[in-house]
Amino acid sequence: MLVKRLLILVPLVLILFLAQSYLWIPTYEEQTKGNPSRLTQYITGSIGDAAILNPILSSDSASAEIENLVFEGLLDRDKDLNLRPRVAESWEIEEKIYVLLNPNSKKKPEDILYILEKAKKARDSSFGSIKEIRLLPPESVNCPPVSTRDGRRPNNCVINYPNRIMISLPKVEPDLSREIKELLGEEYYKDFDLDGIVSVDQELRSEILQRLKEEFLSTIEENPVITFYLRKGVYFHDGHPLTAEDVKFTYEAIMDPKNLSPRAADFEPVKTVEVIDPHTVRITYKRLYSPAIGTWGIGILPKHLLDRKALEEEAKRKGKESISIRESNFNRRPIGSGPFKFVEWKADQYIKLRRFENYWEGPPNYQEYVFRVIPDPLTQEMEFYSGTIDSYSVLPHQVVRLKNDPNFQNFSGLSFGYTYVGYNLQREPFNDIRVRKALAMAIDVEKIINYVVYGQGERITGPFPIQTPYYNHKVKPVPYDPKRAIELLQEAGYERQPDGFFKKGDKKLAFTLITNSGNDIRKAILAIVQDSWRTIGVDVRTDLVEWSVFVQERVGKRDFDALILGWMMGVEPDLYQIWHSSQTGPFQLNFVGFKNPLADELILKIRKEYNEAKRVEYCHKLHEVIAEQQPYIFLYCPKWTALLDSRIVIMETSEDGKIEYRKITPSKTGNYMYDFNKWIKLREKILLLDKG
Amino acid sequence: MFKFISKNLYHRTITLFFVSIVSFLVIYLAPGKPTQVDPLNPKFTPELVERMRKEFNLDKPIYIQYLVFYKDLFSGKLRSWKDNQSVMKKIKDRFLNSLPLFILGTLITWTISFPIGIYSAIKRGGFVDKTVSFLSYFFISIPGFFFAYILIVFVVKVFEVPVIGMNTFGLEETNAFTRFMDRVWHLVIPSFLGATGGIAILSRYVRSQMLEVLQNEYIRTAWAKGLAPDEVYYRHALRNALLPFITMFGMIIPGLVGGSVIIESIFSWPGLGRLAYEAIMARDYPVVLTLNFISACLVLLGTFLSDILYLFADPRIRL
Repeated sequence: MLVKRLLILVPLVLILFLAQSYLWIPTYEEQTKGNPSRLTQYITGSIGDAAILNPILSSDSASAEIENLVFEGLLDRDKDLNLRPRVAESWEIEEKIYVLLNPNSKKKPEDILYILEKAKKARDSSFGSIKEIRLLPPESVNCPPVSTRDGRRPNNCVINYPNRIMISLPKVEPDLSREIKELLGEEYYKDFDLDGIVSVDQELRSEILQRLKEEFLSTIEENPVITFYLRKGVYFHDGHPLTAEDVKFTYEAIMDPKNLSPRAADFEPVKTVEVIDPHTVRITYKRLYSPAIGTWGIGILPKHLLDRKALEEEAKRKGKESISIRESNFNRRPIGSGPFKFVEWKADQYIKLRRFENYWEGPPNYQEYVFRVIPDPLTQEMEFYSGTIDSYSVLPHQVVRLKNDPNFQNFSGLSFGYTYVGYNLQREPFNDIRVRKALAMAIDVEKIINYVVYGQGERITGPFPIQTPYYNHKVKPVPYDPKRAIELLQEAGYERQPDGFFKKGDKKLAFTLITNSGNDIRKAILAIVQDSWRTIGVDVRTDLVEWSVFVQERVGKRDFDALILGWMMGVEPDLYQIWHSSQTGPFQLNFVGFKNPLADELILKIRKEYNEAKRVEYCHKLHEVIAEQQPYIFLYCPKWTALLDSRIVIMETSEDGKIEYRKITPSKTGNYMYDFNKWIKLREKILLLDKG
Repeated sequence: MFKFISKNLYHRTITLFFVSIVSFLVIYLAPGKPTQVDPLNPKFTPELVERMRKEFNLDKPIYIQYLVFYKDLFSGKLRSWKDNQSVMKKIKDRFLNSLPLFILGTLITWTISFPIGIYSAIKRGGFVDKTVSFLSYFFISIPGFFFAYILIVFVVKVFEVPVIGMNTFGLEETNAFTRFMDRVWHLVIPSFLGATGGIAILSRYVRSQMLEVLQNEYIRTAWAKGLAPDEVYYRHALRNALLPFITMFGMIIPGLVGGSVIIESIFSWPGLGRLAYEAIMARDYPVVLTLNFISACLVLLGTFLSDILYLFADPRIRL
């Protein structure tokens, strides 16, 4: 019977064919040990694929990881988080101050000039550092690109400056503008109409004026100037030298509204970027903004591949009228000036990079860098044990088990983020600081750290990343003291009812605590916090909300009582968007509605201060103020642990050609990848003394 | 015949139109914005969010958005919101990755289910039938991801060979034959995993169909004629038992774009299921809607095909 035979034979043949394919597969042993080129390859696994490989367009961490190797900025951060020269060899920061002269005043421009010169000679406080004072004639200038909040742009916008005095300083003096104002006297600008010097479309006038004032428009304009001196002999991967033109182009590409760059906000304070010579570029800012220099860590784009001419050619090749940088193939095949050049990208499989032989600091030791996309953590772990990826980010519950495994070297550090409980300060009962303190005292944060994240977190007390100098270690955490919490609530006018819950008048002390669904850690904290609060007599309900509803409807529209959330911070201590009182509107980030005049003043001072010691001082003060006010319960900063194949070491070749091996040591801030360009994998594990 | 087909097609086109409206509405009413816009990232100023909304046409009235979307879809201009890649190209690439998995999975399911189902129907109540029943229920109820983990750990520990991905990493330089076999090996476990559920269900179905057919009078007639058992089972019974499976065959076509999110994620397989899942998480509406539209088309095509096949297979249906 043919049918019967077929029914038996076909599946058998199929299974045999499939099974025999096993014989052709190299085992892990053959792949990792028997393959010498594997030692010159660094393979890493990632949960998600990169989205777009262009430093001015991407905003995801996977893309950033690749971009950091392919592109290079003017500067970056060294082991201690100080700025370190990269493409720029060095830089200088100066300042220019423009004092608008009141044409209606009795004092003539020459009189003002004389007063200032006198102060300069007398070396009164900041005046002592003035280099030059000059009188400028009246002048009409086009406004910088400016738009209203909903994106409308004026057709014509001109600033008609009266006489101005320009003061040049060799460094930034944030106090000088105040001192000049004092010198001129309050009377001086009394009959001066600052709004009058701007001519702009009538319908947008008030909004545009407000924006201009926020950005720079003032009777005394302070313009910091950064001059970068670029390193000679820096090349893009296609052999083209990197010059000041590329720096200027990168800035222009970010600011081009067509490109919708998520980095545009960082560069908005820039007034002009001037190319002085191929290796010097001068950047003038509209106002004092000290975080600005750090933004030049952004990867420099090659102008010759992305300028209008290049894009037109690409459009022609694709048979289209025009394309923007966003649509260019460059974002799938990037060319930068970093230590690794791009080779291949297979979507959702891997991205391959090869070392750049002409890298100005000498090529990295590894020949190849491979970024594999492995979306499942367990599969990633298996691949790590098998040796087909070189590093593995350990989950909190695995740390104890894997930390002492002799087959791996491990690194751990604190992340730049923290988890917190935030209150809606506009609402009852959170407008009362005693209630906020009582709620904070009712929670045993140490317990949360120990049981929810298995000890992989560190208690924090304020808004700055704990490993930066801005964090104030003197601020003491709120103690766990439920008894005192109950007393505080009673002081605040709440009375405990027979059922154990607090009441004020006929209103029960009750509210809802929410967080986003899909984050198990936050969910666990939610339950613990609810339980702690119920224990002292607060009737708390909880709710898990899907992320986008949570962000759009609840957080964005201020429709919550209390929430659990986390922030990822940068190194720069700029807290304007999260803590300044002007940022409490709908969809702005100060959604808890924190308003404190002292904090506002400090936040602005930190932005304007260029002196590091003073910045640290202001930050410590700000930390104190925020911790005192308790708008958040600052919970903890998560710790991360990474495992690395123990055969990976640092290899350095000294000038006389001697090769020396060194153990990988993490920096003070926990960054172990810092020396990545010097890493190499050895055939056998060797014992190295820990010199660090 | 021609009238039947054209009428059938006409109804399906109308259905497709409504499907397009409903799926667009569902996406439109769901909260959230594309991930290129992250409202909790301090770098995203309200101006930028507003400009992005304009760029993605999110500021237009809904019917304009609907028209623009389907115009772009049919002219092939549609671009992903996540990475500005052409949607059609993305789907095509992923489709080609998912296709072998789908074909092999279907092949395994159908070739293995039939012998098992038929045998357990013939030996009804016997040891094999009971074992198969037990295993069927076991595989239907075991969670796919759990079974996948067990299998991966087992294969990796015992055989020490890689199983994840579409091919062994770093094997690009060997000869074409080894590369082909490597591809086959990497297909084996995920497609087998994908097939287990199918085999469990389909073999039960084959069994019950056979049992039903075997009770018919014409089977008794066949036995009475003194035909050999094989003749009865494979010629008279099987043919009649096969009819309902024609419908099922039409129904597997939509599975082409479904893919399995879980299996593709665990095995790092860059397939359509993962594309759809990630697009949903990133609110990449052009990709989600296109996939939605394509699968609607395939469902309609599948049912259409099974209608037509029925016409040919079952002489009792005549128009």
